[in-house]
Amino acid sequence: MTVLERQRNTVPRSGTRRRGSPRGSKWTPYLFMAPAAVFILVFQGVPLVQEIFLSFTRTSLLNPTRSTWVGLDNYTRIFGDEDFHRTLLTTFIYVIACVVGSVGAGLAVALLLNRGFRGRGWARALVTIPWAAPGIAVALIATWMLNPDYGIVNRFLETIGLGVPGGAILDSPRYALPAILATTIWQLFPFTSVVLLSALQAVPPHLTEAAMMDGAGRWWTFRAVTWQVIKPTIGLLALLMTIWSLRRFELIWLMTKGGPVGATETLVIDLYSQAFDSKQLGSAAAIGMVGVVVSLIVIAGSRFVARAAEREAR
Amino acid sequence: MRPLRIGLTMRILAVLVVLGVAVFPLYWMIVTALSSNSDLFAEEARLVPDFAQFGVFIDALAEGKALGWLRNSLVIAVGTTALSIGLGIPLGYALSRFSFWGKAFVTVVLLFTQMLPEALMVVPLFSLFRRFDLLDSLTGLILVNSAFVLPIVALILKGAIDGIPRELEESARVDGARPLTVLTRINVPLIAPSIAATAVIAFFHAWNEYVFAVTFIFTPAIQPASVGIANFIGELGTPIQTVMAVAFMFTLPAVVFYLFAQRHVVAGMTAGAVKG
Repeated sequence: MTVLERQRNTVPRSGTRRRGSPRGSKWTPYLFMAPAAVFILVFQGVPLVQEIFLSFTRTSLLNPTRSTWVGLDNYTRIFGDEDFHRTLLTTFIYVIACVVGSVGAGLAVALLLNRGFRGRGWARALVTIPWAAPGIAVALIATWMLNPDYGIVNRFLETIGLGVPGGAILDSPRYALPAILATTIWQLFPFTSVVLLSALQAVPPHLTEAAMMDGAGRWWTFRAVTWQVIKPTIGLLALLMTIWSLRRFELIWLMTKGGPVGATETLVIDLYSQAFDSKQLGSAAAIGMVGVVVSLIVIAGSRFVARAAEREAR
Repeated sequence: MRPLRIGLTMRILAVLVVLGVAVFPLYWMIVTALSSNSDLFAEEARLVPDFAQFGVFIDALAEGKALGWLRNSLVIAVGTTALSIGLGIPLGYALSRFSFWGKAFVTVVLLFTQMLPEALMVVPLFSLFRRFDLLDSLTGLILVNSAFVLPIVALILKGAIDGIPRELEESARVDGARPLTVLTRINVPLIAPSIAATAVIAFFHAWNEYVFAVTFIFTPAIQPASVGIANFIGELGTPIQTVMAVAFMFTLPAVVFYLFAQRHVVAGMTAGAVKG
């Protein structure tokens, strides 16, 4: 509110009034944008250009002002590196699993909560809690729950007779990634389910009723009616989840730092440890650029698919 | 009659399972905070909070460190909210109401920023901050957090202004009001709910932010809670009950505010992403 009030007060109540040009001059929109544009330019534009430059140099974190231009060396090196291949594969698995898991779980929960029942409002509100919780707190409680000695997860697994060998899930190359995925999806499914719930409101009830009346089974009705209405929303969510998962940092970094032996190392984790552990700013920047290009390809691809679907619909 | 009953029971069970999964980790945070040492490390886990242990919350605050963290987070979050909305309203207005050369480009840039990871930008921002003497200051964090949340704030507010009929502005213009007056007098009051929703988004973006805070702040006294709590992970000196009590006090405001603003926040985030 303080912002609004301040802005209101700075507006002169009776300033110079111009008639005949009610829309202001042609510079008006630029003046409105200028402060925000300068801001984004300084804090995102300039650093991005610097990162692109860095990716073509060899630069140490210990002496960042001295860079040696090495051309495409960083790129050829990381693409020849087996560890980087594994990072790409881990990123791919992580992103796909996040998208499928969060959209799938979100859809299931949305369909469940879309039915009328007593206490539905409460249920919908409670379900959003994981998404509202800060990532730091989620990483902390997940790490505690997965603690090999006193964590509730291990105690539960032992009770039902499914002990994890060695007990330390986050230290196991086999179980660390699934544990991180479960935590990520737990945090994301409320968002996808709330968005899908509002998309489901647009499904005309008389159509589903008519389909059922015609003797269509539940599955067929879902595919022929519901799915057609929510398809664009599913596409949008898949795109959002992909982009968010490609840039997710805290949760993975705080739970495993990319370990054990690189089992949970995604592109962003790799780039951060290259910069701050190995102090190689050049290859860190190159890894980051690979991530940015992947995001760009995904966005371009999704627009292409959306256009094709539109043309088909016509 | 009978199959319907079974279906209904299954559905109620499913809803309860989903709710349990959604709520359990935060519930477990409370249980852990409110457990005595003997309960915590006992053979059998204690599954309900022991309210006799409530003093842990008071002790955590009285000790002073956690209170300082939360205060720093609050300063950063309030500053970020004010700055990003102050810059986002005029940007959203320009994108909504004017057609001008470069408009499509601006929209694409705003969407493009959504895919830049903080971890990528942290190195060049570090050198930028050193040059402008912004390292180790809350002001620096307010500036950078505002820049990162500004695009989504502007896109949501643009969508909100799109929804206001232009006719409402016309009469003010006929009276000779200037564009800025039209914006602050006519549009801003009408999009108040969307402003509130973006305020929640901006506030908790800054409240939760970790990467910049951990890299740019060196003095423990001005650390925000996200860094303080993250430092607990893997550290053994602090009792886990205190850790969970602090984490809970850090989490609670975020959850409560999202519950109130949920509908607007979700609508805003998808609208910002879809329509651009």
